[in-house]
Amino acid sequence: MIDLIFIATAIGFFVVAIAYTHGCEKLRGGSHE
Amino acid sequence: MTFQAILLLVVYFGILLLITRPLGAYMARVFEGERTFLHGVLGGLERGTYRVLGVDPKEDMKWTTYSVAMLMFSLATLLFTYAALRLQGVLPLNPQQFGAQQMPEHLAFNTAVSFTTNTNWQSYSPDVTLSYFSNMVALAIHNWASAAVGIAIAIAVIRGFARKSANGIGNFWADVVRGTLYVLLPICLVGGVLFVAMGVPQNFDPYTAVTTLEGGKQTIALGPVASQEIIKQLGTNGGGFFNANSAHPFENPSALSNLFTLIVIWSIPAAITHTFGKMVGNTKQGWAIFGAMAALALAGMLVCISAEQAGTPHLQAAHIQTAASALQPGGNMEGKEVRFGIAPSALFATVTTGASCGAVNSMHDSYTPIGGLVPLFNMLTGEVIFGGVGAGLYGMLMFAVLAVFIAGLMVGRTPEYIGKKIEKFEVQMAMLATLVLAASVLFFTALSSTIDLPKEGALAALNTWPGSAYGGSDSVYGAATGNLNNSGAHGFSEILYAYASGTGNNGSAFAGITANTPWYNATIGLAMLIGRFLMIVPLLAMAGALAKKSQVATSSGTFPTDTPTFAGLLVGVVLIVGALTYFPGLSLGPIVEHYQMLALATH
Repeated sequence: MIDLIFIATAIGFFVVAIAYTHGCEKLRGGSHE
Repeated sequence: MTFQAILLLVVYFGILLLITRPLGAYMARVFEGERTFLHGVLGGLERGTYRVLGVDPKEDMKWTTYSVAMLMFSLATLLFTYAALRLQGVLPLNPQQFGAQQMPEHLAFNTAVSFTTNTNWQSYSPDVTLSYFSNMVALAIHNWASAAVGIAIAIAVIRGFARKSANGIGNFWADVVRGTLYVLLPICLVGGVLFVAMGVPQNFDPYTAVTTLEGGKQTIALGPVASQEIIKQLGTNGGGFFNANSAHPFENPSALSNLFTLIVIWSIPAAITHTFGKMVGNTKQGWAIFGAMAALALAGMLVCISAEQAGTPHLQAAHIQTAASALQPGGNMEGKEVRFGIAPSALFATVTTGASCGAVNSMHDSYTPIGGLVPLFNMLTGEVIFGGVGAGLYGMLMFAVLAVFIAGLMVGRTPEYIGKKIEKFEVQMAMLATLVLAASVLFFTALSSTIDLPKEGALAALNTWPGSAYGGSDSVYGAATGNLNNSGAHGFSEILYAYASGTGNNGSAFAGITANTPWYNATIGLAMLIGRFLMIVPLLAMAGALAKKSQVATSSGTFPTDTPTFAGLLVGVVLIVGALTYFPGLSLGPIVEHYQMLALATH
């Protein structure tokens, strides 16, 4: 059970990091070049 | 400063300078896909690896694809290591029969994150926790992979500056494979043999029981140390085979191995500045970065060595000789190996924290307040003083972008770097990367300095050291400050150092904190993830945006960035950002402790 909590935490962090990647790309799209 | 200390610094920087140009030029050829003298031997292995992975090395990735590939690779290897550590009891190469009891869930999480992020923070004593399989497979895979990922990210960021009107920043898989095969592997093969020649063991024997001269019993831990040691240092990983790390005579037997270790740690971080210069078509740009790093390094070394050599008023009050002589090193020798003395220990502390290595040959917790402030400050400024393999360069390029932006604001010049216009988005990404690091260090330090966890009931387990797994009894700490060896300013420094080390992916410890509890393992684990990946992503985004831009012709309004003036500005920006962000924290820790020391206060 505790194993699942830590595994889910790790996976959750990387899901956030991928969303963060797309968030940065979205910000670039809206910025002046 | 003793004559030996000055000689050591001259020899060290001399060798580093000699290495930088040839290794940097070689790495530029490797990552530009050119043929090198090793392609005849390793070319087949490289092509075979691509075939097995189903990778087309010529496929140019957009920065988002590059970033997602890096994140997925890191997640997959993290989960593998977590599983391998938890299952070490049923896996082979385990003569000491260590199992899941020594590696509870929170420790496995912290350790898997730690090695994935190139931190190698170790909350545990490896010699009483890890099987040979855990050491050689579960962890060693990251010593290679996390180092290769760091180099790959730096190369991708360099391409952002070097390319013109391009959509992609390279191929992540090709960069990792090339970094591993052509850079890390050959140096490790030669360096590992040299470590064996210097007396570092390499075997699979069970631990040896001996009878000491006094008639007592002692267990001597052995194992495949040399092969771990070389990649630990070359990859700026830092996780030791033994708990004493590079203070252990089997990891670092002599003054010669100590110097060799120091050279290995900074070899790739120094050389990659020249790789940068070669790839952007102006080697002076690389030397300007090298110069800024060297100036910061030298300043830290001089302060740290001088502070340790001066000793403390307490030693003088106790009539202990603190001046160096032919028979003893003088200064503050607490926590330092007598084999090494003051200068090689303080130099090691500066090098290991300038890089994101984290190996130690002395106990930083025992340094004088100002001596200990130097490694702490090195980590807080983002470990850009040569830095981790790859990580040091991309961190310094982040500061370079801020430097040209600030220079532009100050003197009305066009913000440009390497012929690329620095605009709103690049500055936003550089600031995001800077703020993420500061937020993680300061938030977790503040939290652990104040949180009061229950000492009884189910939640008491949150801050309990699992001593029963190591033949002792469990310790329930309650408040997160209960784990500290010291109260007051030094205790605060211990917490600040732990989260600076975790976030900066350094891995060295002040060693005055019992961190193997669910609270510290989980929070330092999160700090390591944030410090690694939430910094890399905006820098890749910056690289992607820069690669798309065309080259701007140099004009009278262009601020030259290949001069000593720019190197000086860069040093100023690093110091100002570091000082402004962390001065309040440092004031509560080492600075106030310094004044307490001068007043002969004890605590």
